[in-house]
Amino acid sequence: MNSSHANALQSFARNLQWLLTLRLAVQLATVWFFTWGVVVLALRIFGVQNIYWLTMGLPAVAPLALLAAWRAKKQRAPLTKIRASYDRINTCGGIVMAAETLDVDEWLAQLPGIAAPKLRWHNRRAFLMLSASAVFVMITLLLPNRLTHFPGHRPLEIGQIVGQLQAEVKVLAQEKIIDAPRAAELQKQLSQLQDDSLGYDPGKTWEALDHIKQSDSDEARQAAQEALDKTTSLAEAETLAKAMEQASDSGMNATTASQAAQDLASMLSAAKLENGLLNVQIPPALLAGLNGLNKEQLEKLLQGLESNKGLLSMDISNLANLKMIDPATLANLQAAGICDDPDALADYLSTCTNCSDELCMHPGRGGLGRGGPGAPMTWSDGASEKDLKFQEHSLPPTPHLSQAQLIGVGKAAPQLSGNDVSAQHGALDNSAAGGGAANARVILPEQRRAVQSYFKRDN
Amino acid sequence: MPETILKPEELQPVTDLARKTLEQLDRILLGRKELHRLVLIGVLSRGHILLEGLPGLGKTALVRTIGQILKLDFKRIQFTPDLMPGDVLGSHILQETASGKREMVFQPGPVFTNILLADEINRASPKTQSAMLETMQENSVTLLGTTRELPQPFFVLASQNPIELEGTYPLPEAQLDRFLFRVMFDNVDADVLNQIISERRRGELPPPTWQMERADLQALFQAMGKIYLPKPVSHYIARLVSATHPGAAEATGPVNNYVSYGASPRAAIAIAEAARANALVAGRPSVGFEDVKIVAPPVLNHRLILNYQARFDRMTPSRLVGELLNQLDETGLNLPKDVVLANA
Repeated sequence: MNSSHANALQSFARNLQWLLTLRLAVQLATVWFFTWGVVVLALRIFGVQNIYWLTMGLPAVAPLALLAAWRAKKQRAPLTKIRASYDRINTCGGIVMAAETLDVDEWLAQLPGIAAPKLRWHNRRAFLMLSASAVFVMITLLLPNRLTHFPGHRPLEIGQIVGQLQAEVKVLAQEKIIDAPRAAELQKQLSQLQDDSLGYDPGKTWEALDHIKQSDSDEARQAAQEALDKTTSLAEAETLAKAMEQASDSGMNATTASQAAQDLASMLSAAKLENGLLNVQIPPALLAGLNGLNKEQLEKLLQGLESNKGLLSMDISNLANLKMIDPATLANLQAAGICDDPDALADYLSTCTNCSDELCMHPGRGGLGRGGPGAPMTWSDGASEKDLKFQEHSLPPTPHLSQAQLIGVGKAAPQLSGNDVSAQHGALDNSAAGGGAANARVILPEQRRAVQSYFKRDN
Repeated sequence: MPETILKPEELQPVTDLARKTLEQLDRILLGRKELHRLVLIGVLSRGHILLEGLPGLGKTALVRTIGQILKLDFKRIQFTPDLMPGDVLGSHILQETASGKREMVFQPGPVFTNILLADEINRASPKTQSAMLETMQENSVTLLGTTRELPQPFFVLASQNPIELEGTYPLPEAQLDRFLFRVMFDNVDADVLNQIISERRRGELPPPTWQMERADLQALFQAMGKIYLPKPVSHYIARLVSATHPGAAEATGPVNNYVSYGASPRAAIAIAEAARANALVAGRPSVGFEDVKIVAPPVLNHRLILNYQARFDRMTPSRLVGELLNQLDETGLNLPKDVVLANA
């Protein structure tokens, strides 16, 4: 066979083999990428998070190329068919085909110069699919962990709640409402809860969080109540101390002074300031010499009482900032810390000559009791009438009872004739009971007995 | 049979003969080059040709001209419903010999010729049509137990009028199958008509300026036998004919839907012979796929028996064959659909 045709034929066969190999390799790679992506996704869903091992599928492309080459070689078309295709494309009229068995060199020489036929692979779709599969694999590898978890394995989103509880525990520890080991234990429990919480069974987590929250709230409420009691005691003691200070200037006799000092000591002692969650420290020297305190010592005592009140208020404010106590408790505490006017008590101390044992506990005049008619009225924030508009509404005249006329007493409902005017109800005319929100219930026969027994009167 | 192939110097003289014949045909009969080529291919293939077309398109003129160019005896039979087989084949008549005895003497019919024009063959009765069967297939006539060979070469060029079908007898499939080609005579375009009017007074045809000798015709027939048919091409012909049968492995959708019966093995033989003749006319010593594609439509279009669904959908055998040729991969390489071969 003519060497140029032989070369062209060989080139054509080689190109065809390469093209089919490449095509098969692209198809296999596409299938592999999709399969690999699915496997990666499945493994990640079921807990395998090591991306390094998952990327090991990439080198499998090389064996796939070898497999494609082997398969293409196995499926290679016979040379007779390749020769026939060459003949057909170049319109050789069967001469190239005849060259397989016959000597047709003279005829081949007459054929015009022939090149190997071109092979065109419309590969757009194939490469599009390959790109899509590669992107799919990349996505499965780079997906964030939180998106690859089953809902059952996905951790519960409790970070904010745990953070809040941790802040509460921290404040409780700082205020020494709970001791440090207890605080550390709670912090550890919260961290463990956050790590171990699972979305498919959130009940246990919520239960544990509620327990800790309840515990914190109880501690805070207890501390708030204690602070309220101690603040009240401190305020009363402060009032008495101020009265003693004023009365000493006004010539309080020694007996009264001694009696007042004893009352002050017993008041501070009864308050048990040193005990409890929020212990208050009054200088022991002052407490020891309450009977003979001079004005300077009273000043120091007053400062100590004031500072302790402030500390208590600050502690409770910290708790209130975290909403561990309600605003009403905080308001009560602040109200309790206001020192009463000591003037009346100071007058009483100055003037009394034979004071009772518990002179400071007298209610009313000079007493520290906060209730009763003699107690000063404390106004909090009043309601503002700003921007309020009132619409005048005149009520219709109501017939006076004196104008009523008894015409009889009957058990049935009154019958009105056409000329009679029904009773006017004034402003309540056409109004419904309860603002119209009453819920009318139909009582079922089986419920009737229970209702009758409820409304049953003994007399 | 040892496989040989013609040398260029062997093929060139016979190719020239074919080329000259075509030149004469094209010169005498205007505007039908493709038809002339097909008719020549049919003659070289020793096949019979069914010419189908309206009256006045030049069917008789074509047959007569071929006879003149090839220097072959030419006879014409106008088929009519009362035409009897004896009118075609010949008959025995009682004659008195020189010795005074009387004996039956065979009087040959018009079929004893080289080229027989069977005009409007579908107007003859089936009896007369069937009398043509043996002559067309066996090239002989048997009467009263005596077989008489027809002169060689023998060709039947039958014509058929596709209109005025009342009182006609459509050719049975067995007889249609004996025709190598069914060639459609179409109208010529205005330029050709103008040329005919201006150059041919009263439609008289010019005489041929060159005529083929009997020896030349024999040389052509001998060269035909040496045209090489490559195995991939013969495989393609076999697959093509097989694919005309509904339910075959490579049958196309239209074939499965519209064909009742596909082409016979005689069609495959006809395609191979006609492809050889086409290669010879083209000056090639071997048959290529392109030769098959040229001759397959006229060979197959009268051999496919379509069903009623095809009539409803106006599907014709020619369209079916065309779609089959377009869809069937010639080489059997079976490349993927997204891979195509293109000429460099």
